[in-house]
Amino acid sequence: MKAVVWHGKHNVQVDRVPDPQILNPRDAIIRVTLSGICGSDLHLYNGIVPTMKEGDILGHEFMGVVVELGSGVTNLSKGDRVVVPFPISCGDCWYCKQGLWSLCDNSNPNSFLLEKLYGDTGAGIFGYSHLYGGYAGGQAEYVRVPYADVGMHKVPEELSDEQVLFLTDIFPTGYQAAENCSIRDGDTVAVWGCGPVGLLAMKSAQHLGATNVIGIDRFPERLEMAKRHCDAEVINYEEQDVTEALHHMTGGRGPDACIDAVGTEAHGSGMEAAYDMVKQTLRLESDRPIALRQLIRACRKGGTVSIPGVYSGFVDKMPMGSVFAKGLTLRAGQTHVHRYLDPLMKLIVSGAIDTSFIITHRMALEDAPAGYRLFNEKKDGCIKIVLNPRLASGASA
Amino acid sequence: MELTEAVSRIGARMKSRKVNVGHTERNASLVGGAALAVTGIKALTGRRYLPGLAMMVAGGMFLYRGKTGFCGLYQALGVDTSENAAGGVLIETFVTINRTPQQVYEFWRNLENLPSFMRHLESVEVTGENTSHWKARGPAGVTVEWDAEMVADYPGQLILWRSTGEAALPNEGTVEFREAPGDRGTELKVSIRYYPPGDGPGKAAAKMANAITGAQIEEDLKRLKQILETGETATAERTNNH
Ligand SMILES: NC(=O)c1ccc[n+]([C@@H]2O[C@H](COP(=O)([O-])OP(=O)(O)OC[C@H]3O[C@@H](n4cnc5c(N)ncnc54)[C@H](O)[C@@H]3O)[C@@H](O)[C@H]2O)c1
Ligand SMILES: [Zn+2]
Ligand SMILES: [Zn+2]
Repeated sequence: MKAVVWHGKHNVQVDRVPDPQILNPRDAIIRVTLSGICGSDLHLYNGIVPTMKEGDILGHEFMGVVVELGSGVTNLSKGDRVVVPFPISCGDCWYCKQGLWSLCDNSNPNSFLLEKLYGDTGAGIFGYSHLYGGYAGGQAEYVRVPYADVGMHKVPEELSDEQVLFLTDIFPTGYQAAENCSIRDGDTVAVWGCGPVGLLAMKSAQHLGATNVIGIDRFPERLEMAKRHCDAEVINYEEQDVTEALHHMTGGRGPDACIDAVGTEAHGSGMEAAYDMVKQTLRLESDRPIALRQLIRACRKGGTVSIPGVYSGFVDKMPMGSVFAKGLTLRAGQTHVHRYLDPLMKLIVSGAIDTSFIITHRMALEDAPAGYRLFNEKKDGCIKIVLNPRLASGASA
Repeated sequence: MELTEAVSRIGARMKSRKVNVGHTERNASLVGGAALAVTGIKALTGRRYLPGLAMMVAGGMFLYRGKTGFCGLYQALGVDTSENAAGGVLIETFVTINRTPQQVYEFWRNLENLPSFMRHLESVEVTGENTSHWKARGPAGVTVEWDAEMVADYPGQLILWRSTGEAALPNEGTVEFREAPGDRGTELKVSIRYYPPGDGPGKAAAKMANAITGAQIEEDLKRLKQILETGETATAERTNNH
């Protein structure tokens, strides 16, 4: 089959690789009909996440049609159209039973690596380094789905692939980020990063009752989308001082909740950004917490800092004194996607939220290398790329 | 230490009451014994009579052992660890499994299940009511075999076995099954002690001994947890054939 394969930093290629096979009773194989390139994939593309190996198949946002089932999967049939959550979760351990699906105890065969790094392990993730299990990803024609009985979710026929694809990751991620803000009537929620995650966090915050939503970025087309589709006020951080602008927009209080939808590769300018860039390049610091520092400074007293953006190691100069003095609540983590499939599917079916507006590029699977470059450089107004294995190369829309 | 010496020491019956518990082990016994006894009393007041009693008895025994350097349990078992404790290697690992103590116990008590999660075990064959034959495969394909007997068996609580006869790699193991607080399942504590052979005979056994590490047993226990909780072991293997 064809698959998007990691060959090194800034080097992905579409290769012919062996088809996946059923290895365990609870496995399934699906034929992928649509997959997305995620901001998280860029951390792999830019070589920020350790333990990637040449030959690894990428992709953790994908959906498709069931073509093969292990003997242990009885709640689905061949031919079913399904979405697949990006965390691989067993459904049986204490964490899964608590709804903490992305903290599954059992699904990461390399759990000892994460234990060494972080003190404990998280769930395996499709196509996301050997730290997260070394599983083959779904930017491919076929993919093996472990624990398919809990890891696949049937899609109503009347919904298109593009309407439901983002249930696999970024819609639940934006939603969980907003839910973590414990939003109350009258709240203002500020979101750093108007990429797919940030945009869907804004949509979700509004749905959960925020009175004002503010989006922060530097790309005009992304700020425009935040204004038009998410009814947000916006701040271009290259034109305005973010903390000051937020101060003015909230009567001097600061936002009630701040969401970091930027993560470890935050962009910045000036001395502070140069400091983090140099340290990250020399591997003295694994993450660049430029946005996160701002969030903490800007957030109102007693407010919440919600962090869906990915961090992978150590950060410097965290304003811990500010966290303490202002009594902030910090919430973070990989998304417990399984938990949100039913409720968010309902929102899509009822038309309450449509997430497909973020798609700017539809490309053939074979054009993925160009897609990664485009998305990484944020060229050509690129906000979200979806890859379709049945499109002919070059036929991108 | 000569292999034969180690074997004979483990097999030796204690005739008189003397110190048969090594130094570090005595201190550990004092602390551990007190904790166990207190937990036992707590369990009792929490009306978990059986485990409570068992823990108090065990705790009391360890306390006694810590103070006097004498262990009734070891004497009863004919085990003397006072000198070979230095040569012996003790590995202790812990894991919590989301199943009841009885369920975990039953799976483990069927010793023939052990190779399904212990990577270095090739087979365990039950040969009698309390006896079994073990076959391990180590690095570079070396194999080591031995006979073992079950020395203590408290359903849902504790299993203790040890190798018998002229084992090339004398060893003993204890598994404790404890109910975890709340709805968290079973806390499993696995202690494995083995006596690596010296330079003399048993090169295979020495290689095998090197392969038994805490990290490896932790991995084994993770597989056990996966099997008991999910019915299969996690793998991300890729297919190589076209
Ligand atoms: N927690 C999870 O489970 C989960 C799931 C999906 C994605 N993520 C993470 O969410 C983050 C965003 O993902 P995405 O797909 O939207 O990526 P993206 O790259 O499209 O978006 C990131 C946005 O942040 C903006 N940005 C960069 N520096 C900034 C700064 N200093 N201030 C404000 N904005 C800044 C960029 O211009 C860009 O628009 C990534 O870190 C990704 O790994 C996490
Ligand atoms: Zn993602
Ligand atoms: Zn689990």
